[in-house]
Amino acid sequence: MSLRRYAVRRLAIGAVQVLAVVTVVFLLVQALPGDAAVALAGDNPDPRRIGEIRAAMGLDRPALDRFGSWLWGLAHGDLGVSLVSGRPVVAFLLDGLGPTLVLAVLALVLLVPLSVLLGVVAALREGGVVDRITTAITVGLHSIPEFALAVVLIALFGVHLRWLPPTAVGADLLAQPAVLVLPLVVLLARPVCSISRLVRAGMIDALASDHVRHARRLGIGAQRIRFAHALPNALAPAVQQVARTTDWLLGGVIVVEAVFVVPGLGTILVDAVAARDLPVVQGLAVVFAVTTVLVNLVADLIGFRLAPRSVAIA
Amino acid sequence: MRGVGALLVTVPLLLALAGPWFVPDDRTRGGPFMPNSWLGTDFVGRDVWHQVLAGGRTVVLVALLATLLSYLVGVPWGVVAAMSRPRVVDDLLMRPLDLLLAVPSLLVLILTATIAGPGLPVLVGVVTLVNFPDVARIFRGAALEIAGRPALEAMRLQGESWWRTSIVYPGRSMVRTLAADSGVRLTGALYLVASASFLGVGVPPDAADWAVMVDRNRVGLFLQPWAVVVPAVLIVALSVGLNLVFDRALRAEARS
Repeated sequence: MSLRRYAVRRLAIGAVQVLAVVTVVFLLVQALPGDAAVALAGDNPDPRRIGEIRAAMGLDRPALDRFGSWLWGLAHGDLGVSLVSGRPVVAFLLDGLGPTLVLAVLALVLLVPLSVLLGVVAALREGGVVDRITTAITVGLHSIPEFALAVVLIALFGVHLRWLPPTAVGADLLAQPAVLVLPLVVLLARPVCSISRLVRAGMIDALASDHVRHARRLGIGAQRIRFAHALPNALAPAVQQVARTTDWLLGGVIVVEAVFVVPGLGTILVDAVAARDLPVVQGLAVVFAVTTVLVNLVADLIGFRLAPRSVAIA
Repeated sequence: MRGVGALLVTVPLLLALAGPWFVPDDRTRGGPFMPNSWLGTDFVGRDVWHQVLAGGRTVVLVALLATLLSYLVGVPWGVVAAMSRPRVVDDLLMRPLDLLLAVPSLLVLILTATIAGPGLPVLVGVVTLVNFPDVARIFRGAALEIAGRPALEAMRLQGESWWRTSIVYPGRSMVRTLAADSGVRLTGALYLVASASFLGVGVPPDAADWAVMVDRNRVGLFLQPWAVVVPAVLIVALSVGLNLVFDRALRAEARS
């Protein structure tokens, strides 16, 4: 199968996947107890008032009807308006996308070189002191809950030593890079561990493989063997994990945003679910599903480029 | 290095499991965030040390229960999908799970927990829901691999009973998959339970729970850092320690 046909087929499957995810989320939000009308009517709800708000918002129409018109709008690039504030959903998403993108891009820019470097260094000194120490650290930090690490770091560097601002509340992320340091460290802690371990394992395998041994017999220099012949093969498995991480970062990292008070997509999601703001939740689901599909597609294409035979069968 | 993992696990685990027995019955409340006792008081004036003693059990038990339940649901799910003769069953069972895996897990978690309301059973259920698709996928793969082994073919040709070829041999082979997977699964569940409780999913806002303590006492970080740092460090220690212990066990197993 050629690369282009593969990409087209994957895009088609991806469109179906987006539709399915959106349907699931619609059904889940339908099942939420109470709706935006109840949430809007306040603490002391009057049934008649709730009925009026419902009729005004179109919540009294059958669910299928509403889902249909919502899909119709989606086909035209219209995600509807927020039930709570009346603002277009697209405006919400654009607001949240800024901070989320800043964090995601910076995290990725640091993540890839750092984890590849750690993995390669550990692999080249397999069994050595450096390898044992990095392995212990990466194994240990592998599934550490972000909020716990975050508050320990905030207490130490933000409160006790006063080196860094404890939260990003009200700050312009790009104008004050200091507020980004702690969130980035917390965001990187888990992915660096998982990816550097994959790179290490891949590199050890690649260095022991037949083609590398053959390259050695041909008298090719050690550096060239390591970086031109072994490394690309070692990276192929790690690409999938980088894709998952990218997906996670773009999905609005709810916990990190909550701890550091960053107004990204994750914060918008939590607020929208609390307010039963169905159109906003739906819009976010579309964004999450589309990024998942696209990120995985790009990862597969990169994987194909790095190690053609590994993807060709799929 | 050898003892570090074990030590990191033992301290929080002992506190979590035995702690609730050492909490005195008559607890007086003081002012919020006061440094008057060993670890001071929390956001509503409760003694932080008592809260620490009382708050670990839910985190640990919910993570354990959710892991157990993920296997109880996920393993049969995957094995049935792999072994079923009409291949349609396989698609019917596995396709919906692909979908569940494509939705961000915290989105599933927040939505389902809001639907079902608070309560520890809900938290167990939601973490299971997020975890079991992965279990099903792994065990489907393992079952497919085992079904294709020459050893099984040979057993069939020798006329071994259905019980031995379909239950005993695959079961014994899958124990290894289970052992390799359980560490990752348990630490993953611990991560999800703690993160969910921190976000206020499935637990009452004043619960005695390490993750809830971290969230609620954050406002007093400048006044009374112990109320936040102690439970956070305990969660970190438990997570790091579990990872180290399981990794060591796994590597020892791989060597033998």
